[in-house]
Amino acid sequence: MALIELCHLRSNVNIIPFQEVDELIPSVEQMNLSDSLRLALSATGQPIDFKQFSHTENGKKINFEFQHGTTTLGFVYQGGVVLAVDSRATGGSFIGSQYMKKIVEINDYMLGTLAGGAADCVYWDRVLSKQCRIYELRNRERISVAAASKLMANMIYSYKGMGLSMGMMLAGYDKRGPSLYYIDSEGTRIQGKVFSVGSGSVYAYGVLDSGYKWELTDEEAYELGRSSIMHATHRDAYSGGIIRVYHITADGWKHITNQDASELFYARKTKDL
Amino acid sequence: MSILEYNGGAVVAMKGKNCVAIASDKRFGIQAQTLSVNFEKVFEISPHLYVGLPGLATDTQTVYQRLKFRQNLYELKEGRSMSPKAFCAMLANMLYEKRFGPYFVEPVVAALDKNNEPFIVAMDLLGCMTTPDDFVVNGTCSRQLYGMCEVLWEPNLEPDDLFETISQALVNACDRDAVSGWGAVVYIIEKDKVTIKHVKTRMD
Amino acid sequence: MILANTESNSSLKSHNTRFNPYDDNGGSIVAIGGDDFVVIASDTRLSTGFSIYSRNQSKLFKLSKKSILGSSGCWCDTLTLTRLLNARMQMYLHEHNKEMNTPALAQMLSTMLYYKRFFPYYVSNILAGIESDGSGWIYSYDPIGNVEKCKFRAGGSSGVLLQPLLDNQIMLSNLQNIDEQPLSLEKAIKIIQDVFTSAAERDIYTGDEIRIMSITADCFKEEKIQMRKD
Repeated sequence: MALIELCHLRSNVNIIPFQEVDELIPSVEQMNLSDSLRLALSATGQPIDFKQFSHTENGKKINFEFQHGTTTLGFVYQGGVVLAVDSRATGGSFIGSQYMKKIVEINDYMLGTLAGGAADCVYWDRVLSKQCRIYELRNRERISVAAASKLMANMIYSYKGMGLSMGMMLAGYDKRGPSLYYIDSEGTRIQGKVFSVGSGSVYAYGVLDSGYKWELTDEEAYELGRSSIMHATHRDAYSGGIIRVYHITADGWKHITNQDASELFYARKTKDL
Repeated sequence: MSILEYNGGAVVAMKGKNCVAIASDKRFGIQAQTLSVNFEKVFEISPHLYVGLPGLATDTQTVYQRLKFRQNLYELKEGRSMSPKAFCAMLANMLYEKRFGPYFVEPVVAALDKNNEPFIVAMDLLGCMTTPDDFVVNGTCSRQLYGMCEVLWEPNLEPDDLFETISQALVNACDRDAVSGWGAVVYIIEKDKVTIKHVKTRMD
Repeated sequence: MILANTESNSSLKSHNTRFNPYDDNGGSIVAIGGDDFVVIASDTRLSTGFSIYSRNQSKLFKLSKKSILGSSGCWCDTLTLTRLLNARMQMYLHEHNKEMNTPALAQMLSTMLYYKRFFPYYVSNILAGIESDGSGWIYSYDPIGNVEKCKFRAGGSSGVLLQPLLDNQIMLSNLQNIDEQPLSLEKAIKIIQDVFTSAAERDIYTGDEIRIMSITADCFKEEKIQMRKD
């Protein structure tokens, strides 16, 4: 195949025969707007290798600066689930946004946090909330967190190896009580009491683990989440902005506070650090 | 990632009316991890001569110590202090000596010369000098700094206005760079005094 | 100083014989939204490497009465994307017998960008639009459709230079003792002019001319301002 030669593609890449190429280029109606799971593939049927196409023919760098970086955490305690996240989005070392929403409201009883590729997380969370709503309409009851997290994990798993990058928590309250799941783009799905995800998670865990206990009061729980994120934003270059705290109880989720991470840092006088 | 971005940090210098300013952030980190918020990249060479060395932190320190060594030697030998021009030539020479295994620092020099005229220089890591008549920037957020300085800077700024301009430029640029910030320090160099101000910035 | 840039020199050698589907045609976009207006501007230089294709190519696309898209990066991707976007909007118009509103358009653009997740469009998109309450908002995108709704944004080749400036001049970040006044359209255009002059000074991929489009409740305006052409 002359094209393989010309493009310097690796010989083991399986180019799709010409007749089938038509199916690769769907009409305007067939895109993911009608079927969320239907994403375009490149001519090789594989995601493109960003390293291979890293420069233009003039030698200029092609830089897909997808938004990245995060500290998110969540824990279950006697009063429900608390989620706390930062709000910084970075593309390379450039701070693309200080106000990103890293908690997605899936329905009134379920929240998702996002870490990793921002577009990946937001897109699949949106698909998930659609599916959860459809489940509700079909079955006349709310979907359980376990089921929702499994839907999510299965969707992501079908794209495993294609380069998706996400580490999310799904938290909610269903007939079994409060629950918290961790799901990532490798296909992992685990239930647990305490999770922290993202580049700043190591710092957050340090504070979180030392302060966590089941018997926390609501106020103590918010404060623990908040200060864990605050310390993480101080140490981790790719976390920062504002700290958002959410609480989930039997009555659904509630937004607790939005606080500037840096202002909080000065307020605590931790500058002696 | 470039080795110049391994530790993070930025330096900017500006000319004013009979004064000159140089400022740097205070972060020392290893990639994403912030280790210290008290790492200064600007050093006093002589009362009216300052050098900023953003880049790889180990080279920041080595280059500074070797500069100080050569300067002392010069002053002992010549019995006079070094002019900014001579200092820059020496620094450029020192960097070019390591043409094929360079120090990973991009120096910025700010000084008042013997006529108390403002003097600023920026170099790349091999010692290629530029001497514009407005401002010079180097470090991980140099692009952000260019955008800021190009609009904020104006000719003949008085010391107080120069301080305001340079700190606004640095702080706002650092706020859009993940690997620099965590405090900043500004030196305003005038004929009869040098003012050092520590600027409060975002700590996240 | 170009000698120091060993990285791009070596990459030139190893990559210039290889086919590459992407190019970077440069260009910058700045958009600002106010209480009752929205304004978006782009430069008109279209380039590849060190040569200029055109000094007269606006990167703004008027999508509807209430929204304008600014798109820069790989120009062929921009053209394909805007063509598809227009087709989609027309389908919506025929199906629902009304023009798409700005939030719907913003979400659709995100979904369309994500559709190409595994072979992305190399574009930086900024959508400026008036919402149903008359206020102006900006939606900015990364190449695979992560979208953020904000009041101002700089994108394209000079985005990194200009964003901190907009933070400082519009959001008044790091400024104390200054009372915040609502931003007027005239002030916004003045800021845009300033920041583009700054960009043209330091970014070789931005220059020639600024095209500014603004939308208010009762009028749409377009103007041109000359910039340095070297």
